Amino acid sequence: MLRGAVIGFGRMGLTHFSILNTHPDVQFVAVCDSSSFMLKNVGKYTGIETFKDYRKMIDRSGLDFVIVATPTGMHAEIVKYAIQSNLHIFVEKPFALNVHQGEELVGMLKGKKLVNQIGYVIRFNDVIIQVKKLLDAGVLGDLLTFKMEMHGPTLLKDAKSGWRSKKREGGGCLYDFASHSIDLINYLIGVPDEITGSVLQSIHSVNVEDSVSSTFLYKNGGRGNLLVNWSDPSYRKPAYRFEALGRSGKIIADLHAYKVFFRAKPELDGFTQGWNQRYVTDFVEPVRFYVRGFEFTRQLDYFIDCILENRPSDVCSFEHGLETDIVIERIRKDGEIRGL
Amino acid sequence: MDRIIFGDNQFFGINHMSEEKAQAQSERFKDINAIIKVIDTAYDCGIHAFMFNTHDRVAELCDHFRANPEKYADLRLYPSIPYAHKYANAVNEKGMIGALNDFVFADRSAAQVLGTLARGAMSIVSQDMVKVMKLLVDAEMRMFKGLNVRAVFLQNIVTDLLLGLGAKTVFVEFANHIRSIYGVEPAFNTMNLPQLVDFLLQCGIENPIICSSINKIGYLMNPDKTSYEGAIRTKPFRPMAMSILASGAVGPREAVEYVASQKNIRSIVFGASSKAHIQETRDLILSYGED
Repeated sequence: MLRGAVIGFGRMGLTHFSILNTHPDVQFVAVCDSSSFMLKNVGKYTGIETFKDYRKMIDRSGLDFVIVATPTGMHAEIVKYAIQSNLHIFVEKPFALNVHQGEELVGMLKGKKLVNQIGYVIRFNDVIIQVKKLLDAGVLGDLLTFKMEMHGPTLLKDAKSGWRSKKREGGGCLYDFASHSIDLINYLIGVPDEITGSVLQSIHSVNVEDSVSSTFLYKNGGRGNLLVNWSDPSYRKPAYRFEALGRSGKIIADLHAYKVFFRAKPELDGFTQGWNQRYVTDFVEPVRFYVRGFEFTRQLDYFIDCILENRPSDVCSFEHGLETDIVIERIRKDGEIRGL
Repeated sequence: MDRIIFGDNQFFGINHMSEEKAQAQSERFKDINAIIKVIDTAYDCGIHAFMFNTHDRVAELCDHFRANPEKYADLRLYPSIPYAHKYANAVNEKGMIGALNDFVFADRSAAQVLGTLARGAMSIVSQDMVKVMKLLVDAEMRMFKGLNVRAVFLQNIVTDLLLGLGAKTVFVEFANHIRSIYGVEPAFNTMNLPQLVDFLLQCGIENPIICSSINKIGYLMNPDKTSYEGAIRTKPFRPMAMSILASGAVGPREAVEYVASQKNIRSIVFGASSKAHIQETRDLILSYGED
């Protein structure tokens, strides 16, 4: 039985706790948060021990792993302490506030056999898993162009208070929202060799950007566009759209379905020349316990499996988190903030 | 309990299989009259029971029902609360406590706020989640005032989060609150039926009404279809089936045939947008007997 704790009991901390609290090999023994309202109620209604000081919690609880779901600004110091305490760590995205912090944390892991994972949960989405398999199999041929779009109604009014409105604490569309689609590009296509034409615009926010666009260039000739906006009221919830064109075909995907076009008959069972439409209902498998989406359970169960089987978390490690942070920083440098 | 209940996902751009379909639906039902037309079609087909999420548009629908009491004399509502996305966005903007405050005190006159404060004994300040939960339930239920509500469902994200937490007291208090204040049965939506049944029975909530996806291909049936079938066959609860078409992956005939083969299922929730689909599904369900 693995002993775990959650640090940061907001929406994501709560979700992670709920999902793993039902895992047969996991026992949560403590929760840490800065809000006394949260702690009082968590303690009262779940009976779990609560802490305001994560150091005290880690020192006293005899843990195997921690889930870190605090605002991004606190990730680095908490993760550092958790690594020093030899704990397996799952940390929410984005990884750290800057590349320097991330590099230090990745460096600290050298020589330690600790499972480390970042919460880029879309990597565990069932459609993305299929798309990744197809791309890795090279079915599109040499990549020519791609675009990654992400739109949502996350911020429709100026958020003057809270960490999301402060760049220093990891707020803004680029860190908090676009990071998912940037990470997906790194995962599906690769880390870009050059970044150009980046524009960061504010729509409602005063201190941070609400939309991000950028062009990614690759040495092999491929190129792609990123277009992200978290202040689009026409969406009910965040929506992704990914499209990639190669010399042999094209793929278009969102998180519920994908379609792939083959110029000639592909050497793939079940696929034919021309368009092939696939819905999530064609291939999705149920999960052990479902809260908010299959991918949330898949990512955490993968994390626990890695600990139990003593293997690294290859799908979404701290190194991947650092790679995404590096691209974020390059976009930030390439772009400039301007109000509309 | 009604054998056939009409669902509302199609009106609000909710489609688990395709974002494109969801978008098309959301465009079609932009006008509340387009929604009312479909509801009237279902009503005229003899389907008088409706499950509604507490979407802002549903508040408009409820106004319409109240304005036409004779037309909807036999209307029976099964609200599902809360509508989670509006909370998710508010939490992003204001944090958890700020969002809770907003929802508890939204759309209230000063006198009502004072009344709420008196009854809730300054819940948020007193920091008791169960009291806050009751205030939120009341806030969500306001739109149904004066209408014939038959059961109140706890929406699946909330149910499943609380199930994962193992927060027994919250389930029990929710059930008591719905019974005592609204005089109807508490009910639960879930994506984890087998685990929820056992948990609710352990909580002492007897013969609970539980609505979950139940379909031939096992879509959204966690941990697996076999566990669902076992629970439905052997456990003392009232199962209600939704997503019987698995977002369109199963044809209506085989969808209804499968659900009808699970003998203990009491009710079927389905949504459709055309008269032909509504009639077809209704006829198929009724062809397997009234109950």
